[in-house]
Amino acid sequence: MALYQYSWLILFAPLCAFFVIVFGTRMWDIFSRPRAGAASVHGDASTAHASDAHGATGEGHGEGPVQDQEYDDDPTVPSLTMGARVSGYLAILIMGLACIYSWVIFANTLVTPIPANINPIFTYSWGVPGFDIAFHLDNLTVVMMVVVTTVSLLVQFYSQGYMGNSAGYARFFAYLSLFAFSMLVITFAQNFLVMFIGWELVGLSSYLLIGFWINKRAKPEELRPSPASAALQAMVTTRIGDVGFIIGIMILFASTGTFDFTQLASRVQGMDKAVLAIAMILVFCGAIGKSAQFPLHVWLPPAMEGPTPVSALIHAATMVAAGVYMVARTFPLFLAADPAAFAVVAWIGAFTALFAASIALAQSDFKRVLAYSTISQLGYMFVGLGVAGPTLGPGPGMFHLFTHAFFKALLFLGAGSVLYALHHATHKEVQDMRLMGGLGPKMPITAITWLIATLSISGFPFFAGFYSKDSIIELTLTEAHNWPLYIITLFTAGLTAFYMLRAFILAFGGKGGKVFGLWGGTYRGVGNPKESPWTMTVPLILLAIPSLLAGYWLNFYTYLSPKAPGINLADVFTSPFTLVGVIVAFIGLGWAYFLYGNVELAKLNAIVQGNAFLRTVHRILYHRYYIEEFYDLLIRYVVLGLSHLEQAFDAYVVDGIVNGIASLITTFGRDVRRVETGRVQAYMVAFFGGVAVLAVIVIALVTFVRG
Amino acid sequence: MLTLNHFLVLGAILFCIGLYGAISKHNAIAVLMGIEIMLNAVNITMVGFSFFNQVKPFSTYLTGQIFAIFIITVAAAEAAVALAMIIAIYRKRDTVDVSEIDMMKY
Amino acid sequence: MDLATLIFWIIAVVLVGAALMVVSLRNIVHSALALVVVFAMAAGIYILLNAEFIAIVQILIYAGAVTILILFALMLTRIGGRVRTNPTNRLWWVAVIICALVGACIIYAATFSSRAIANVGNAAGQLPAGINNVVRIGQLLYSPTTYSYVLPFEIASLVLLVAIVGAIVIGRED
Repeated sequence: MALYQYSWLILFAPLCAFFVIVFGTRMWDIFSRPRAGAASVHGDASTAHASDAHGATGEGHGEGPVQDQEYDDDPTVPSLTMGARVSGYLAILIMGLACIYSWVIFANTLVTPIPANINPIFTYSWGVPGFDIAFHLDNLTVVMMVVVTTVSLLVQFYSQGYMGNSAGYARFFAYLSLFAFSMLVITFAQNFLVMFIGWELVGLSSYLLIGFWINKRAKPEELRPSPASAALQAMVTTRIGDVGFIIGIMILFASTGTFDFTQLASRVQGMDKAVLAIAMILVFCGAIGKSAQFPLHVWLPPAMEGPTPVSALIHAATMVAAGVYMVARTFPLFLAADPAAFAVVAWIGAFTALFAASIALAQSDFKRVLAYSTISQLGYMFVGLGVAGPTLGPGPGMFHLFTHAFFKALLFLGAGSVLYALHHATHKEVQDMRLMGGLGPKMPITAITWLIATLSISGFPFFAGFYSKDSIIELTLTEAHNWPLYIITLFTAGLTAFYMLRAFILAFGGKGGKVFGLWGGTYRGVGNPKESPWTMTVPLILLAIPSLLAGYWLNFYTYLSPKAPGINLADVFTSPFTLVGVIVAFIGLGWAYFLYGNVELAKLNAIVQGNAFLRTVHRILYHRYYIEEFYDLLIRYVVLGLSHLEQAFDAYVVDGIVNGIASLITTFGRDVRRVETGRVQAYMVAFFGGVAVLAVIVIALVTFVRG
Repeated sequence: MLTLNHFLVLGAILFCIGLYGAISKHNAIAVLMGIEIMLNAVNITMVGFSFFNQVKPFSTYLTGQIFAIFIITVAAAEAAVALAMIIAIYRKRDTVDVSEIDMMKY
Repeated sequence: MDLATLIFWIIAVVLVGAALMVVSLRNIVHSALALVVVFAMAAGIYILLNAEFIAIVQILIYAGAVTILILFALMLTRIGGRVRTNPTNRLWWVAVIICALVGACIIYAATFSSRAIANVGNAAGQLPAGINNVVRIGQLLYSPTTYSYVLPFEIASLVLLVAIVGAIVIGRED
């Protein structure tokens, strides 16, 4: 069908937008900016800020412009030029068209399934057989495509408000379009090569977007790196996972001779199961890196240094989900391998979920809590993929990815809205939850949508997360019969509920608010925050709808693998597992409600610091189990130590050999030179010495070698 | 009974004595004397071969002696030139010690 | 032992002894005088070998002219006054080894090896009657027969000319 056949346009549209913005409208923007000196521009901006005075802004703002001008955290222009605005509109328009097209395809697939013979929908071959660029379309692709385009569109729409008068406005939209293209390359890929190309492209886009604020400094007192180093850390850490990825792909290619997913699925049936398991675990290493599982999770929290729309798009909904998508795409290969491969996936996912959830309990930075929450939920997705088994297919894991994308994007965009409001109230960047509180009545739309998302992620009944998360927890027992996994995932669900509601109450509620401290309360910061503009709140509302309703797509499992049964609501509500899950969620929510809604934060801090055990636990969790310090030591002493060794080897041994040979020849020459004495008698001695030797040899030969 | 071997051995011994003198003496004239001894040894060998010649046509049997004449001739010429050179060097450097004439040294 | 052999051994011993004295005496004039003895004994050997002309030429040229040349050179290079006028190299033993090796090889090759030539013969009986050594040498050197040494003779005279001119030029005082 023509509708499906031209779906590759969705892929190339953002790429075209990228090129048009970079070479067209951004150039227009840059050349049309006023040529006034930098100081006066910023002077105007800062006086404009000071003019909408918010009470006691004198102290917060007095040293602002003088300090910020040298390292401008986010250089601003007094007003956006036409070129910049057009860049934004162009990107949003293209993404909107792509989004509509993808929803149309999605609706169509529910009616008429995709025929198998349209694949590949787009190929490009460059002469080497087996190494073509090929894109294909099937149900799994459609699910991911819908998620990516929808969240991208909403994030781009939101960025219009969030990025405000930023000087890099056009650049931001260019990068967002590039990212959308890269993610869609992964989504549409038909073979490992194209997927790897997309993999690295999203890595690049992530680097560009995290490090968007080029000149921003690090803040060591808050344990925050500069965006430039965070971007580098992200790139390098995912690269480490990519090493395993490439080795796994190579093993598969060596054994089967192809990169294509459909061909691989049939050819690996004849492979040795242990070798295939090793190859798939190595491929999974790429997912560990990209999806920030333990031990390569360290890049995701620093990645929060990028602008919040970036965090919402990349580090919540789409890029980190690429690892999950990849495992889902290669699900038949995992099935054909030794069950150890699935066990590795599930156990790493479960461990990471628990690990990240425990760290999130003690974080005080608003976006860090969400970052660790993302890591934890990704762990859930991998558990879902690991325990599903052949009948259910990639359904449970992908379902959680689907719902998670929406409510996590909502959580991040809401956080961005809060940060935006606080920045405009205090003229400083405030991300610490200890300086928030009682924001509910001041920012009602943000608060309500955030609450919806919080309840969804906690597994509150009837919200989207409830269906996806509880089914995974249930499957660990019913399909895989794995009691330890069940206990871990269940406990983590309780922790998730606890820390999410803690974050909500610390930001929007507090002691003294309505509904027993859930809504309103004391504001611990300075200034008077207000609700964000409509360009930011509309996406929040639009995302709240799927956070509620996405769980009701009951035939999701069947959509992805035809033999799987759908979700039966009656079964869900009568099963004892659901009851246990709901009870655990309520325990978590209730505990957080009681603690943070009724006790003042200062008093809580005093209790924790007073008790030695609690203090130690808090310190370990606050410093993220000191894993980053451990990696730092590892790199400094092991990696750099090895490199120093090798450098010494190179300087002394290799260069030593080369220089040694040279000096040997020089010394030899200098000593041989002394043969030239200039005295004829010495030459004669040599001459006749040679004659004597030759004479002896000739006589010996003649006498003793009789022919 | 005299045989060819007597003269060949005598020639060899003389040659080696002359060689020793030419190699290990410092005075240039002593070197020249060693060379003269060597030439004489060769002459003895030549004339010895001429005497013990077995070749029948008598026109060729005096070859060794003719060779000896020419050796004597050239040796005389060479001694003259060599001694002239020694005197010239003595005038320039006030020494006839061959170990002090090493301008071709490295 | 017949007379010829006895005389040969006497002459040979004196010859070798004089040669050793040439290379080992400390005074170079003594070496020069021993050299005269060497030349004289060599002439004796030639006479033993029926080469009278060569013997006389040897006395004339070697024992006469060359010896005088050497003595003149010794005189002009002012050897008087020094004690050690004929020093030997410090590493003389190297020269001894080399010379001994060379000598041993030559002697072995000439006498004991399987390729040594025949040992006896007497060419003197091959000369026809009435022609002695001098006549025969004169015939070989001067007469333009098919087998003669006229050309080398002429060239030898040229060599002598060049030597004379060269010696004069080199030894000139300027």
